[in-house]
Amino acid sequence: MATPLIELSNVTKSFGPVDVLKGVNFSVEEGKVTALVGDNGAGKSTLIKGLSGVQPYDGGNVSFRGEEVHIRSPRQASAMGIEVVYQDLALCENLDIVQNMFLGREELNAGTLDEASMEFAAQKALQSLSVRTVKSVRQKVSSLSGGQRQTVAIARSVLRNAKMVILDEPTAALGVAQTEQVLNLVRRLADNGIAVVIISHNLADVFEVADKISVLYLGQMVAHIDAKKTTRDEVVAYITGSKTPEGVA
Amino acid sequence: MATKKLDPLIEAPLTTEAVAVSGRRMSDSRPEGWINKIRYNLQFVRGRGAFEIGIVFVAIIVVFSIISAVNPKGFPFLKAENLSGVLTQSVPMLAILSIAVGILMVAGEFDLSLGFAITFNAIVFVRFTDMFGVWVGVIGGILSGVFIALVNAVIVVYTRIPSFIATLGMGFFWGGASIFINGTNAALLNPELTKDGNPFEFIFAHDFGTFRSQVVWLLILTVIAWFFLHRHKLGNHIFAVGGNSAAARAISINPNRVKLLAWTVYGLLSGFASVLFVARIPSVQPGGNATADFTLFAVAAAVVGGTSLLGGRGSVIGMVVGAALIEVIKNGLILAKAPGFYLQLFVGVTIVIAAIFNRFMEGKAS
Repeated sequence: MATPLIELSNVTKSFGPVDVLKGVNFSVEEGKVTALVGDNGAGKSTLIKGLSGVQPYDGGNVSFRGEEVHIRSPRQASAMGIEVVYQDLALCENLDIVQNMFLGREELNAGTLDEASMEFAAQKALQSLSVRTVKSVRQKVSSLSGGQRQTVAIARSVLRNAKMVILDEPTAALGVAQTEQVLNLVRRLADNGIAVVIISHNLADVFEVADKISVLYLGQMVAHIDAKKTTRDEVVAYITGSKTPEGVA
Repeated sequence: MATKKLDPLIEAPLTTEAVAVSGRRMSDSRPEGWINKIRYNLQFVRGRGAFEIGIVFVAIIVVFSIISAVNPKGFPFLKAENLSGVLTQSVPMLAILSIAVGILMVAGEFDLSLGFAITFNAIVFVRFTDMFGVWVGVIGGILSGVFIALVNAVIVVYTRIPSFIATLGMGFFWGGASIFINGTNAALLNPELTKDGNPFEFIFAHDFGTFRSQVVWLLILTVIAWFFLHRHKLGNHIFAVGGNSAAARAISINPNRVKLLAWTVYGLLSGFASVLFVARIPSVQPGGNATADFTLFAVAAAVVGGTSLLGGRGSVIGMVVGAALIEVIKNGLILAKAPGFYLQLFVGVTIVIAAIFNRFMEGKAS
C-alpha cells in the first residue's frame, strides 16, 4: 500500500494558552489496525476529534488518499468514510438495533421507513462480521450487554460504508470474553480492508490486535512502530516519556 | 445461514431492494408457536403500552355498553344524545391535544402553557373571524398555536433552561396576553357560524346523529400523526433525540432542529384543537382558567397511553386511546350521577396506575 489512507503532518491544536497538539505526524493504512496509545492528557482525544471533524485542527496538513483535505464537520468526515465509535457508544437505548444502525440514514420506501430492507441489511452487516451473539435485530439496545452494544456500534460504521473506523477505548468496560469478541471484530474489520484506529490503555489488547503502534507523549508523536518489532516495555517507556525518539533519556 | 468467512464486508449502503418475505421478521431465530410469535411481535410494536391500555379501554366500553343495554334509563351511555352530544365532542378534543403533547414528550420536552395557549389561540381565531372571515380565522388560530409553541421552543432549545419552568412562565404570559388583546369580556364567535348547515359548523361540529365532525378530524389526524411518528424518518429522529440526544448528535442529527420540529407539530395540533374548542363552545373567556385543565389532562392522557415522561417512548395509538379512556370514564361517572369529586378520584388513580404500569413495562423490556 503505497499511500496511506490518511496522513496528518505537523497538525497543531491549542485551547487558549494550552498547546495540546504540537505538530503531530500520524498516518493510517487501509487494512491495518493502528493503535494510538499515550497517557491521559497526551492528546489522543484531541487528535481523534480533529479527524472526526468535531474540533478541527488549528494548523498542519491532512491528506486523504494523497489529496489534501480540510475536515470541518462530523458530516464531512462521515461523507469521507471516517466513522468514530465513541467510548460511551452513542447508541439510543430506547431504539432497537435496526433503528440504531440506520439512524440518520434511514432507508425509505415511498417516503415511509422501509423496515424490511433495513432489517435485512442490518442482519447482513452483523453476519458479515460473524456476529452471532445477538438474538434478534429487533431487540432494544437497552436489553444488550456492553459487548453487544459495542458490536452494534461497530457494525453501524460498517453499514455506513466506512473506510476508516476509529474506536475509542472499545474494551474499557467489557469482560474477558466480550473483549475477545470485540478484538476479533476489530481484526475482521481490518481484514476487510478498512483502516482501523484503536485507542486503548490496555497494552495487552493493543499487542493482540494492532499492526502498528503510535505513541503520543505530551502532544507529540514519539513513536510509530511495527507491533511485531517492539516490546511491551519499549511501548511503556515511550508512553511514560522515559524513552524518546532520539534514544533513552 | 452459513456465513462465508471474509466476504467483502458488506455491499453497503445497500440499495433498497424489495425483500421478498412474507411478514417482517427476518432474524435467524424465529419464535416457534403462535403464542410465542404473538408475544415476540408485541415486544417490537413501537411504543408498547398502547396494547395493554387498549384492552382496558375495550373492556370498559363493553361493560358500559352492557350496563347501558340492560338499563338504558339509568345509564344512557349508548344513547345518541350522549354519543354525539358528549363523547364524540370531548374525546377528539382531548385526544388531539394528547397526540400533540405526546409527540412533544417523545422528543423530551414538556409544555405547561397549553391551557393558556388554547384560550389565546381561540381568541385569535374569534377576532380574526370577526375581522377577515372564518377561514382566515381558522388559519390564524392554528398559526397562533404554532407561534406560541415556537416561542417556547426557542426559549427552551437555545437557553437550555428546563421546559418545565420556561413554559410555566410563558403560560402566565399568554393568559395575561389573552386579556390584553381582548379585554375581560368573553369573546363570542359569530352565532351564524355554528348554526346547522353553515359550512364551518358542518366541518368542525356537525351532528351526524351518533357522532360529530370532530371524530372524523381525530381519525384523519391520528393517521397522519401515526405515519409521521412511526413510519417517517423524522419521527424516528424524534425518538432518537428524546432517548439520547448526545447519541443523535454524534451521528450528525441536529437535536435542536428535531426539537423545533416537534414543537412545530405540537403547535399545529394544539392550534387546531383550539379551533375545535370554539366550534363546540362558541364563547371564550379570556385569562385561560376555562381551559387550564387541558394542560395536565393532555399530559395525563399521553401518560395513560404509555408515553414516557422522560422522552423517547410513546405511541400515537396509545395517546389517542389514553385520551378516550379518560373521557369515557368521566362520561360514565357523570351518567352514573356520581358526585364530582369521584371523577377526580378516579382520574387521579387511573393516571398513577398507568404511570406505574408503564414503569413496570419499561423495566420488563430492558
